Amino acid sequence: MSGLQIDAVEKDFGETSVLKGVTLNINDGEFVSLVGPSGCGKSTLLRIIAGLETATRGTVSIDGTDVTHVRAADRNLSMVFQSYALYPHLTVAENIAVPLRMRQMSTTQRLPVVGGLIPGTGPLKRDISQAVRHAAEMLEIGALLDRKPGQLSGGQRQRVALGRALVRNPAAFLLDEPLSNLDAKLRVQTRAEIAQLHRKLKATFIYVTHDQVEAMTMSDRIAVMMGGEILQCAAPEVIYEDPNDIRVAEFIGSPKINILPLEHTNDGVVLLGRVLDWPMPAGMPHLMQLGLRPEALRLVEGPSKLRGRVVHFENLGSEIFAQVVLYDGDIRLTLRATPADRQRLSLGKEVSLEFELRSGLIFDTAGKRLRMAEVKTRAAKEVA
Amino acid sequence: MALIEASHGSKVSQDNHQVRTAWSMTAPALALMFLILLVPIVVAGVLSFSNYSLGNTGFDWVGSQNYERLFSRSTYEKMFIATFTYVVTVVPISVGLGLGAALLVHSLGRVGDIYKTIYFLPVMATLLAMAIAWEFMLHPTIGMVNRTLEIACGTWLETIPFFLQGCEGSFPLWLGDRDYAIWVVCFIGIWQGFGFNMVLFLAGLTSVHRELYNAAEMDGARSGWEQFRLVTWPALGPTTVFVVTISCIRAFQVFDTIEAFWPQGGGPSKSAYVMMFAIFEKGIQQNLIGVGSAITMLFLLFVMFLTLIQRWLIERKVHYG
Ligand SMILES: Nc1ncnc2c1ncn2[C@@H]1O[C@H](COP(=O)(O)OP(=O)(O)O)[C@@H](O)[C@H]1O
Ligand SMILES: [Mg+2]
Repeated sequence: MSGLQIDAVEKDFGETSVLKGVTLNINDGEFVSLVGPSGCGKSTLLRIIAGLETATRGTVSIDGTDVTHVRAADRNLSMVFQSYALYPHLTVAENIAVPLRMRQMSTTQRLPVVGGLIPGTGPLKRDISQAVRHAAEMLEIGALLDRKPGQLSGGQRQRVALGRALVRNPAAFLLDEPLSNLDAKLRVQTRAEIAQLHRKLKATFIYVTHDQVEAMTMSDRIAVMMGGEILQCAAPEVIYEDPNDIRVAEFIGSPKINILPLEHTNDGVVLLGRVLDWPMPAGMPHLMQLGLRPEALRLVEGPSKLRGRVVHFENLGSEIFAQVVLYDGDIRLTLRATPADRQRLSLGKEVSLEFELRSGLIFDTAGKRLRMAEVKTRAAKEVA
Repeated sequence: MALIEASHGSKVSQDNHQVRTAWSMTAPALALMFLILLVPIVVAGVLSFSNYSLGNTGFDWVGSQNYERLFSRSTYEKMFIATFTYVVTVVPISVGLGLGAALLVHSLGRVGDIYKTIYFLPVMATLLAMAIAWEFMLHPTIGMVNRTLEIACGTWLETIPFFLQGCEGSFPLWLGDRDYAIWVVCFIGIWQGFGFNMVLFLAGLTSVHRELYNAAEMDGARSGWEQFRLVTWPALGPTTVFVVTISCIRAFQVFDTIEAFWPQGGGPSKSAYVMMFAIFEKGIQQNLIGVGSAITMLFLLFVMFLTLIQRWLIERKVHYG
C-alpha cells in the first residue's frame, strides 16, 4: 500500500482542455473521493492515474516513483469500472481469477492442456483458487462462483467487479462510479460495505462519484472538481462547513445552500434593502454574496426582516424542508425545520425567518470565499 | 358448485376459441412455408429414387440405385474430392483473412473505411464478370500472372524449384492444368469471399465493449494477443460461428466460377467438378433428374448438418446469457 501524488496534471482532447492543472496528494491508506458534476473530468483524471490515458502535461507518482510513462498493466493498481466490465464468457470465479492468472502464470502455463504439464502450475492454480474463494467470501458471493455474469443481478455483478479488484494486493483501488447502476436501497447498503472494506484492507482508495452524499459518507477527504480543476480538497466536514468557493458550497449539501445578495455601503451591510448590524472590516468589496445552509434558517413568531410565503414543502418524517419565497427581491429560500414546526408550515402560509450572523458564509461576486468579512465572534448574535 | 363449473366451462370454450384463432392466423404462413420450402425438398427426395427425365410421361422406381452410383463411380469420387478440397481450403482461409482484415480495418478507424470498400468490392462484383477478368489474367501465354512470373527469370528467385521449372519450360497453364485448376478456383473463392466475412466480423467488433479492453489492461493483459484472447475472441464467438457456417454453405454452393471457366465438364479431367456443377450437369444439361435429385439430397444433408452444428454451438458455447 502506498500513497499517490498527482502533480499539475493537464489533459487536452484535441482542442478542448479537460483537466486544467490538477494537483492532489493522497496518503497511504486514505479514502479520497473525486466528486463533481457530470463531465467535469473525474473519470479522465482517474484514467490518467490508472494509466489508461496519458496526461498531456504533469506527472503521476506512486509512492514517490514517477509512473507517468509506465503502462497501466505495470502500475499495480486495481480499478472497478462503472459498467463493471466483467468478461461475459468467464464464470464469476474465472473473472476474479483473471488478474492473478495474468500476473502470476506464464503464457504457456495458461494454455488449457499443455499448461498443466509445466512444473509448478498445479500449486499455482491451487493458490489462485484459494485467493478467489477468499475474495468471494469477503464479498459474500461464494455461492455464485460458477455462474456467468449474464446470470447475475446488478448488485451481484458489482460485487464480482469488486472481487476482481481486491483479489490481488494493489498499490491503490480506483473506483469509477461503482454504485451508479444500483437501485437506491442497494446503493446505501453497498456504500457502507465499501467503507467497511476500506477500513478492513487499510488500502488507498480513490473513489469517483457525482453523488455528494456518497462522497460525504465514505471519504477521509473529498476533492471537489469542477470544470477540470480541483476547487477544494479537504475532510467532508470542512468541505461542508468551510468551503473555499461558492461552487463547492452549492455542490455539497442537499438541499442546496441558499445564496442572497449582500451590499456593503456607507450605512453598513445591507441585505434585501435592510441594514444589518454587521461588523464588516474595511476594504471589503461593495457587492458580496451570503450563503446560508437550510439548517441555518429558523422559523420565528411575529414580525422579522425576512418574511415570505411557503410555496412548497417536503416532509421527510424526521425533518421538513420548506421553500419560502421572500416578499423582497422574489428570492426563494430553502429552510430545514423540525417536525415540531410542522403546524407552522403549510402551503401559502406566511412565515418569518431569522438566522445567526456567524452561520453565514460570505463570498465575493466571483465566488471566492471572503473569510475576513464573516462575523467571527459569538457575541454578534444579530437577527436579520 | 354449479357456478364454478359454469365458469370453468366457459373458460374452456374461451381457450378453444383462442387456440382456433391462433391456428387460423398462423395457417397462411404455415401453408406458404410448406409449399415453398418443404414440397420441393420432398419432391426432390422422391425423384431421387426414380429415373425420371423431364418431358417423359412416366418413370420407373429404381430404388437406391442413384445413391449407389454416387458412391461407386469415379466421376462422383472426383466430385466429392473437388467439393471437399474447395470447402476445406476456402472456409478456414477466407474466415481467417476476414477476421484479420476486420481487426486491421477496425484499428485504423476512419482510414479503415477505404480498405473496407476495397475489400468489399469483389463481393459486390458478379463472379461471372470477374471470372472473365481472371481468365484473361491467368491465360498461359498472354496473361498478366505468367508474364509477371517471367520477370523473376534470371534473378535469384530461380533457386526456387517452381520458378526454375517455369523459366526452363513454361509456367503453369493454371485453368488448363488439372493440378492447379481447383486451387485457382479456391483462390478466387477466397478472394471473393473474405470481404464479406470481414464485413460480418466488423459488425461483430462494434459490439465489443470498449471498457473490457481497459479492464484487461488493468488485469495485466499486456500483449495484443492476450487482450485478443481475453476480450475480442470470446466476444466474436457468435459472429465466428455464423461466419463459418455461412462460408461453409457458400463453399458447398460454389458453381458460377466453374461454369464460367469450364462450361463443358468441370475442369481438366473433372478436377473442379464440384457438387453444384454436378447437379447442374446431370439434372439440367443431361436431363437425368433422378441422379441430380440424389446429389441435391446429399447436398441438403451437408447443409442441414452444418446448420445443426451451428445451432448447437451458439446455444451451448458462445452465448453467455
Ligand atoms: N476520449 C475522449 N475524447 C474526447 N473527449 C473526451 C474523451 N473522454 C472524455 N472526454 C470529454 O472530457 C470531459 C470529461 O469527461 P469525463 O472525465 O468522463 O467526465 P466525468 O467522469 O466527470 O463525468 C467530457 O466533456 C468529455 O466529453
Ligand atoms: Mg465519469
